[in-house]
Amino acid sequence: MFVAPEAAPLVKRLISFIIPGGGVPYYKGGGPSAEPSLLALLALQTASRPGGHAGPGSVPSAPAAPPGPTNSSPASPADGAVAEPAKSLLAWASGLQNADGSVGLDPAHRDQGLWLTALAAIVFHHYVVADRRDLALGFVASLKSATAPNDPRIRQDNALVGWPWVPGTFGWVEPTAWSVVALGVYGRSGDARAAEGAKFLLDRQIPSGGWNYGNPGLNDSELLPFWDTTGLALVALRGRAEAARVRPSLEFLETNQEKIESPCGLAWAVMGLENWGRDAARLRTRLLRALAAASDETLNAAHLAAGLIALSGRKVFAP
Amino acid sequence: MNRRDFLKGTAVLAPAALVGPLRSGQFGPAPCPVTLLPMPDYGRDMEKEIAAVMSRDGLVLKGKKVLLKPNYVEAHPDRPINTNPAVIAAVAHACLRLGAAEVVVGEASGHRRDPWFSVLNPKLREVLDKRVRCLDMNHSDAVETPNRGGLTGLSRFYVARAAAEADVLISLPKMKTHHWAGVTLSLKNLFGTLPGIYYGWPKNVLHFRGIERSILDLAATVKVHYNVIDGVVGMEGDGPIMGRARPVGVLVLSPFSLAADATAARLMGFDPRRILYLAQAGRFLRGLKIEDVVQRGESPKKYATRFDCLDDFKGMRGGPFF
Repeated sequence: MFVAPEAAPLVKRLISFIIPGGGVPYYKGGGPSAEPSLLALLALQTASRPGGHAGPGSVPSAPAAPPGPTNSSPASPADGAVAEPAKSLLAWASGLQNADGSVGLDPAHRDQGLWLTALAAIVFHHYVVADRRDLALGFVASLKSATAPNDPRIRQDNALVGWPWVPGTFGWVEPTAWSVVALGVYGRSGDARAAEGAKFLLDRQIPSGGWNYGNPGLNDSELLPFWDTTGLALVALRGRAEAARVRPSLEFLETNQEKIESPCGLAWAVMGLENWGRDAARLRTRLLRALAAASDETLNAAHLAAGLIALSGRKVFAP
Repeated sequence: MNRRDFLKGTAVLAPAALVGPLRSGQFGPAPCPVTLLPMPDYGRDMEKEIAAVMSRDGLVLKGKKVLLKPNYVEAHPDRPINTNPAVIAAVAHACLRLGAAEVVVGEASGHRRDPWFSVLNPKLREVLDKRVRCLDMNHSDAVETPNRGGLTGLSRFYVARAAAEADVLISLPKMKTHHWAGVTLSLKNLFGTLPGIYYGWPKNVLHFRGIERSILDLAATVKVHYNVIDGVVGMEGDGPIMGRARPVGVLVLSPFSLAADATAARLMGFDPRRILYLAQAGRFLRGLKIEDVVQRGESPKKYATRFDCLDDFKGMRGGPFF
């Protein structure tokens, strides 16, 4: 494995979350779910290869996609400690894909949580499951948030189209950011949808810095920014926005570093800052400690996986 | 949809909304007890007093699995947005005192995905007995539950398994104004039984279908066995996030959600019959009218006040009621 020695126990801990029948639950004892499984796949890939920019091509192959074009590339072998868990996880996650390319929450709820399709497309891209990736990206590109007349109480442009959590509803920061990232890793940053998605994210940026779920202000007051969505939006906007446009958000994370305590917040703060070339060394140290200290009752596998991706320094979400 | 359209719709759909609550047995000949417990600040441990009231209200917890559902929306150091940990702890420990086999504090926070800002915050853990478990219901399994209200057009809700399968569900909201619904109390608190992985952050599909209709559908679908409203320090003005602190110094306890909400609204200086979703809930839940309520504990006169609210909701004002 190519992980820092201090992170190696965390990789083992992540592997311990994998359920024998397949998939990773958010919390120990829960049922398997797509998001922690997909993030675990990315984390295991970062643990299997040396640092740097993450291009596609590693670990094992996945089962064939549902009806549609099939042109999966052969995958390269990976370190044995993570290859087998990743192989089983990839097979499980692949089974969540519907014929229209969408990916749902879990085998019993394949029609729910379709916002996860963007993350699945990123994973299929990095694992070189081209047929599944193309199907997933096709679904992502077809999914549009609803628009609405502008409301004077809410300071944002409701005509901009992003991505919703649930089809048929408004766009929000997190699903839009994941979708912009998915189009970017596939080399489609120049697409009109990706460009409008980036514009959507910039519109939802809180003027004094940061993002929350997606409303920057209400009734003449700024709403409160969050660490995690700020980090994710910054990752999505890397290469798609002028540095000056996101400077308030970078400074928001930098100046508030000492207040960030949760594994989730620390992981996304590290990724948000480092994707823009900012120093996050102190946050990395604290992230490592926070993950190591978290009990099984409180440790969310998706946050553990995001933390490992952040600690790896690999830019798996970069265009 | 405007409010007039909403009222027309609920009139048409009222028979569907009646089905669930009639099954749940909340209608009956006896009046609804509502108890006011003084709690001047969060430094006072109310475990014994709360246990005594619950017991007198006939809440049987011995050997039961209990889910406490507080209200966590966002975290802000200076604003009373969330149910205070001292209240959560007092109710949790009262449940243990009454013999509950399992007590879980579960929440699916509407804005924040990171459970650090909700029930997995170490500051909550510090004040809870180690037998009490905290559960991030946003990232949890769910049980597909038929919508017994029928106002939103949603055929089903995905209710967090811990909420769907608890023997006893206790709603622990904060006493606040709400910029879309007027007030947020025990019935509105049920949004947080729905996992975000199904509904998103915020649960925009419920907003899309109508916040008030969604509150009513959930009230008809999710069985609540007891309610404790944190009115120690409430929020007035531009609630539920951007408002100002309003100390009231009281807990409102009742086995009847609507009776608890209607009483809290009156304490806030609002007429529950002028709050759209509370008025509509009165079609199928007991406790809307003041004559439905048997007031216990402290006199409501002692706590009756006038919460400020946004101009759009000035029409809720009423009273004096006590």
